Amino acid sequence: MHWDVVWNNMSYLLLGAYPKGPLGGLALSIVMALVGIFGAFWLGLLVGVFRLSKKAWLRVPALIYIEIIRGTPLLMVIFWFYFLAPVVLGKSLPGEQAAMIALIVFTSAYIAEIVRAGVLSLPKGQMEAARGSGLSHTQAMIYVILPQALFNMIPSFVNQFVSLTKDTSLGFIIGVTELTKAATQINNRTMNAPSEIFIAIAAMYFLICYVLTAFSRRLEGKINRYQARGR
Amino acid sequence: MKRFAVAVTAILVLALSALPALANKFEDIKKKGVLVAGVKDSQPPFGYVDEASKQIVGFEIDLMAAIAEKMGVKLEIKPVTSSTRIPMLSQGEIDVVAATMTHSRERDKTIDYSITYFSTDQKLLVKKDGGIKSIKDLAGKKIGSAKGSTSEKNAKAAQPQATIISFETYPEAFLALKQGKVEAVTTDEAILHGLRNKDDKPDDFAVVGEAISAEPYGLGIVENESKLRDAINFALMDLWTEGKYQQIYNKWFGKDTKYYIPLTWTMELWP
Repeated sequence: MHWDVVWNNMSYLLLGAYPKGPLGGLALSIVMALVGIFGAFWLGLLVGVFRLSKKAWLRVPALIYIEIIRGTPLLMVIFWFYFLAPVVLGKSLPGEQAAMIALIVFTSAYIAEIVRAGVLSLPKGQMEAARGSGLSHTQAMIYVILPQALFNMIPSFVNQFVSLTKDTSLGFIIGVTELTKAATQINNRTMNAPSEIFIAIAAMYFLICYVLTAFSRRLEGKINRYQARGR
Repeated sequence: MKRFAVAVTAILVLALSALPALANKFEDIKKKGVLVAGVKDSQPPFGYVDEASKQIVGFEIDLMAAIAEKMGVKLEIKPVTSSTRIPMLSQGEIDVVAATMTHSRERDKTIDYSITYFSTDQKLLVKKDGGIKSIKDLAGKKIGSAKGSTSEKNAKAAQPQATIISFETYPEAFLALKQGKVEAVTTDEAILHGLRNKDDKPDDFAVVGEAISAEPYGLGIVENESKLRDAINFALMDLWTEGKYQQIYNKWFGKDTKYYIPLTWTMELWP
């Protein structure tokens, strides 16, 4: 076994060429995942609420968006944003940005469906009572429905976010030097330690995903305490 | 639905046809003072990330730097992969592709090529005491290669009686050879030497056989940019006659390197 190969290249796996060059490796994967999670949550929430709207001009575009994105492989979406950007914007997007936009657009379609399911799973009386107390539909959504629904959605969100975190590895295909690409670069140079390198990065992916799930469990526990008091 | 598809196609065609309105790539490069080359970042020794400096270095980077110097401009490199190199070139994101690209007729339909700047042969990597001297000895035996490569197809054509086992990458194919799962690994000579020399016991293995196929590498250039192609071709020839090419070659493929391949071919030179 050649674990020394992994140790010698640890800084490249963790940070890429940084600080002598662009950020890469695990650090870039984490940045991409965080930006992706943040963007996908808000965009997905918006699309999900639109999807539930009674107004057709909000509901239909949201429905088309969800159906198109869910029916396309993520790899394709990444390629689209990478190769369509120069046509649409007139200038090319760096691979990192194209991959992050693709991740946000892709994941938010799934988030939107989670939001819809979460809202529909609440008893109808919640909305009726909120409207009855004088709140508008939008106010009822923001102050009564979503706070309850979002809590129920946490496990599904975490599922989707863990999946997004691992999907950052697909940035590899358009030359983004995230963890998988960095590992391939090292593997192709050294050639004698493929198993060691890929075991090492598998452990790294596991670690960041585990941190994510552990964090969500704590969050759930915390919110649970407050919720229990109200019941 | 049909009308929608037509509309989308029309928009795409319009948008795409608006792009190549640039007058002359060569003049543009001169004006900018920068030649942007797409290079590999994980294919030693052609283009890879150096362990110490963490920068992209390699044979193709040095060669492109020399060409840029001849053209009187600075070199900027952008990493590309096998799937992004041609689209990036067509979209004008890079001016030239120097990424171990075999000059094939199929690819020549969409882009132009320089003259051959590197030539390698497909050969066999075997165990030294295995008794295999050429592809003829492999009838009824197993050969390892990588998925989707030209080597895979060529080997099948050269020895129809052998079973080709395709692995994800060449290091895996080599591992299979060490474990006795295949009798030989086949691909470009440069890669085979790299595999052998990186092993703990390189003397147990040998690169053998006559060339199964030739792999001429050409620099990819955007279609119909005659001036740019001339400038690059003339620069390549000048580098060869001045001996600068050989100097770069020896730095990466010379006797003292891990990828030793004797320089057995000559560049096409125009008077």
